[in-house]
Amino acid sequence: MTEKIIIVKNVSKTFPKVVAVNNLSFEVEAQTCFGCLGPNGAGKSTMMKIIYGKCTRDEKPASQMSIFGYDPKDCELEIKSLSGVVPQDNNLDDELNLIQNLMIYSKFYNIPARLARERIAYLLDFLELSEKANSRITELSGGMKRRLVIARALLNNPRLLILDEPTTGLDPQVRHLIWDKLRLLKKEGTTILLTTHYMEEAFQICDTVMIMHKGQRIIEGPPRDLLANNIEKYVLEILDAGALQDKLKENMQEQVRIDKSQQVTRLFSNDFEYLKTIAGSMESSNYYLRQTNLEDVFLKATGRGLSETQ
Amino acid sequence: MKLNNTVVCPPLYWRLFSVWYRHMRVYTKNIFSNGLPPFLEPLLFLAGVGLGLGTYITQSMEGLSYLEFLGTGLLVTAAMFTASFECSFGTFIRLEFDKVYDGMLASPLTVNNLIVGEIIWAGTKGLFFSFAVLCILAVFGVIHLPYSLLAPLVGFLTGVMFAVISMLITSFVRVINQLNFFFTGFISPMFFFSGVVFPTSNLPNYIQPLVEIVPLTHCVRLVRAVCANHYQMIHLWDLFYIAVFILVVGFFAVRRLRKRMVN
Repeated sequence: MTEKIIIVKNVSKTFPKVVAVNNLSFEVEAQTCFGCLGPNGAGKSTMMKIIYGKCTRDEKPASQMSIFGYDPKDCELEIKSLSGVVPQDNNLDDELNLIQNLMIYSKFYNIPARLARERIAYLLDFLELSEKANSRITELSGGMKRRLVIARALLNNPRLLILDEPTTGLDPQVRHLIWDKLRLLKKEGTTILLTTHYMEEAFQICDTVMIMHKGQRIIEGPPRDLLANNIEKYVLEILDAGALQDKLKENMQEQVRIDKSQQVTRLFSNDFEYLKTIAGSMESSNYYLRQTNLEDVFLKATGRGLSETQ
Repeated sequence: MKLNNTVVCPPLYWRLFSVWYRHMRVYTKNIFSNGLPPFLEPLLFLAGVGLGLGTYITQSMEGLSYLEFLGTGLLVTAAMFTASFECSFGTFIRLEFDKVYDGMLASPLTVNNLIVGEIIWAGTKGLFFSFAVLCILAVFGVIHLPYSLLAPLVGFLTGVMFAVISMLITSFVRVINQLNFFFTGFISPMFFFSGVVFPTSNLPNYIQPLVEIVPLTHCVRLVRAVCANHYQMIHLWDLFYIAVFILVVGFFAVRRLRKRMVN
């Protein structure tokens, strides 16, 4: 049996004005990557913070948590010693250079100076920052800062890496680089827990994905299964569906699922040929016929409209 | 079902030290712009008072020349100002703008470690600023060595004292500008009404109890005793006041700030 690194049972978190996490349960197995997806305000970050003790969970109803067998309520130091955390904001010390930033954190982990220097050299190389080792933080690009925060989270050789939106706002090159590094870490035995808005990211690196909405779990499973079980294979996106109005009203409903947003009408179906026939009568700039992806599942699960917390 | 029973967390003293070390490194990174002003400020004061104001004040104060009277007071006000800034504006910026604590709290530190470590750092800054004033005063022969070499220790206590009160105030602050009230309403009056600039003994009787309540009064009295190497029973009261103040205010500061950091 594979060991469970994280066990969360019936955890809730209520803030004065909002229920951030609502009776949430999930488990993360060792050496897997578990992704938390959800719109802003879904409670992803709060859940991460509860795991490493930055937030406290509600006392009632009764809940249970085990991270490496420790409950964050009583053993935050043990959990933090075994974990590395990449917070949502890059909170680096701007006054210092890269090495000094990392040296300060190595003190928090009580790593002897000589070992720390070796580890820092290794991590800067691992995240391809060696050339910038002596630069000031203010000279770094967004992607470099992010990578440095990841390096910082890896200082103590964590068995669990927690990343809160690791690639938000980064360019595709950096995102792919970070994904590669995360895959490598997983291969070396690290368990990864991350939150993201990017469906692509979840699809690329997560073994299991949990879609959250309003503090609750909507669906959970391997990305491919989520696709296979929760949504039709293809979608035809139509910008101007005026000409189709009559057809839409008729017998089409049996073969396709129709989803209208303000500007775009989407026809979901497993029958590619059928969608193609419909598309055939339109100008090519008016439609886009493609495979469905995790984003479609996400939008189906969490709704298209914005909730007030977004 | 402990998966790993051999987790070694850094011991308490180390966790406090590592927080202190963090602040020390960030502070000393700009050693020139951070380290020089503490020496320049007393120099300016001495020039202004010694060459200007002091020549009009011929009356001795508590048996000291005015230059010595004010100079010894500066030993603790320097500590007061630096610790107050560090733990009000500094703490607020780290908390709300730079999110420094978010990162630190992801490493094996508790909120209490973080706050206490920072208070000790503010005390250290108080010690350093006191020491800077001491250097200038000694160079110009205003105070006498070697007894006054102990004065920075009072600077340390002063620093810790004003660190805890500043943190307590900061825990109530939502918008950084509100801290201005703390400085104009609390810290600045302290400079004038705690026996630094003139002896409080000549203030009206009904104000005397107020003077005893003001925290800085005790630091000033203590530092003058240290510089003169002349101790009385009242200085035990001063020490007692300082200790209780630090413990009580510190307790509430930690409790309230924790709620801002862990929610």
